[in-house]
Amino acid sequence: MSRKSRRILLGLAGVAVIVVVAGILILRGPGPMTFAAGAKVALADYRAADPTGVPPALAKASLVERGEYLARAADCMVCHTAPGGKEYAGGFAFKLPFGTLYSTNITPDRETGIGDYTDQQFLDALHRGVRRDGARLYPAMPFTSYTYITDADALAIKAYLFSLPPVRATPPRNTLAFPFDQRWAMTFWSVLFNSDERFRPDPAQSPEWNRGAYLAEALAHCGECHTPRNPAFALDNYDKFAGAVTAGWRAYNITSDKATGVGAWSDDDLVSYLTRGHAPGHGTASGPMGEAVDHSLGRLVPEDIRALVVYLRSVPPVASPDLPATLAPPAPASYRQGGNLADIRGRRVFEGACASCHSWTGQSPLTPFATLTGARAGNDSSAINVAQIVISGTRRHTPADALSMPAFGNIYSDVEIAAVANYVTARFGSKGSAITADDVAALRKQGSQ
Amino acid sequence: MATLKINGETKDFDAPDDMPLLWVLRDVLGMTGTKYGCGIAQCGACTVHLDGQPVRSCLLPVGEVRDRAITTIEGVGATAAGAKVQKAWLDLEVIQCGYCQSGQIMSAAALLAATPNPDDADIDAAMAGNICRCGTYVRIRAAIKRAASEA
Repeated sequence: MSRKSRRILLGLAGVAVIVVVAGILILRGPGPMTFAAGAKVALADYRAADPTGVPPALAKASLVERGEYLARAADCMVCHTAPGGKEYAGGFAFKLPFGTLYSTNITPDRETGIGDYTDQQFLDALHRGVRRDGARLYPAMPFTSYTYITDADALAIKAYLFSLPPVRATPPRNTLAFPFDQRWAMTFWSVLFNSDERFRPDPAQSPEWNRGAYLAEALAHCGECHTPRNPAFALDNYDKFAGAVTAGWRAYNITSDKATGVGAWSDDDLVSYLTRGHAPGHGTASGPMGEAVDHSLGRLVPEDIRALVVYLRSVPPVASPDLPATLAPPAPASYRQGGNLADIRGRRVFEGACASCHSWTGQSPLTPFATLTGARAGNDSSAINVAQIVISGTRRHTPADALSMPAFGNIYSDVEIAAVANYVTARFGSKGSAITADDVAALRKQGSQ
Repeated sequence: MATLKINGETKDFDAPDDMPLLWVLRDVLGMTGTKYGCGIAQCGACTVHLDGQPVRSCLLPVGEVRDRAITTIEGVGATAAGAKVQKAWLDLEVIQCGYCQSGQIMSAAALLAATPNPDDADIDAAMAGNICRCGTYVRIRAAIKRAASEA
């Protein structure tokens, strides 16, 4: 080979390396708090009130009590409890396109739980996605978010978990297809997509913002559902909080975009939605968000909720082009007007099963929780959440007298559910949907459990 | 202790806010005319009026009722539409086993109060949520039309 051709080859190899590295960096994207342009500092160098830990009222509480608050804020229980199963004993199914993953038992049982975990092993799992036996965890466990939890807070959570009664329970075996069953491959994924760094406050922002950032990013892991994922299934923070479909439910746009995000919501509306899962004129949280409110957000102290609102407000607007910018007003009082009559079965189901609580106008005579007017789910022509709510109902626990909606998944066929979802979005939304029985069948499969 | 306005009277009762109105009516106040059918607002047997609107009392937490006026099958005969419906029901002997009929009458009375001369489509839309195991639907439709024709 001549010197010249060798030089060309070397040049080409160099270009290839640069392209691959740039591609990886582009795919990796910004971190969850990169949008706030201020230089972040180590927690120890941050002069204002500590944004980590528990609220001041709990500062003198025992380690276990502090851990309980933090475990709630991190919402460990919902994913680590199977429906009807013992709390924290695992077995909750994550239905993925390539198989099913089951959550693990995190009670302190020595054989089937985490009773033998040392502090360091617990931190490795939470921060780095590494199990006690060295195997890699899948990112269904949101360790790329939990990695921002401080060591002190993580160990408080461990102390709380270790205070629970040990439960002997082994979750079912995962059924992931090749190559997704190769846990070792997650090593490379983690190197690329897990920052493995603790929360770094931003002194240019208010202490409230920093508390909100810690709650939203490290503990509550909002982005795990509300941020879309890149082709490698890692969070794509170019479109931070712009909404995504997770586990068959649509987590809506919660950026500060006025038309399709929450930019036009008042502070009171956001506080109400986060604490009660309902805000007047904005509908009611169902599915995974309903659970997040009932078990986690609804049990945080008011100043933490306000900090979350301050942080949410600062997230740059990203529009969801498929969502209508204006929400539909109340529907006509008579069944004769409104709704999609292309498939009469939609109206038939609605008049028999839905109208008695939701009324033809969408403004429930029973309770504001059942009012459809203004709800994003009805104003979404994918009708994903309308169909899911029909299939699985809404069972809420906050407040205690919140009305529940029965599950209709076993009562109506896919054809009927598609028809009523299309009727509901046409009647109560500003752009009707056109989903099919096949779409409903797919949604049933994706819904957790 | 809380109060409810039922059939024009104020009733005191003691029950948690999340207890369904139907349970308060039947088990706490002893008003058993309103029936328990499915318990998930799908059969209509528990229908009562809330400020004149037909609602399913089996799913309605009593804490949500507040000061709204409740009308039950025990009191609907005192309303103009309710009286006409009850008379038509008797004239045509609509009832078979009777379990669903207090709910049917409450829905029919609400329909006539809002739509004095309903056509078949109006009746379908208003009565679709009231299920009758005995299949008295044909007589229910006839009785609603008869009640509507009673000026």
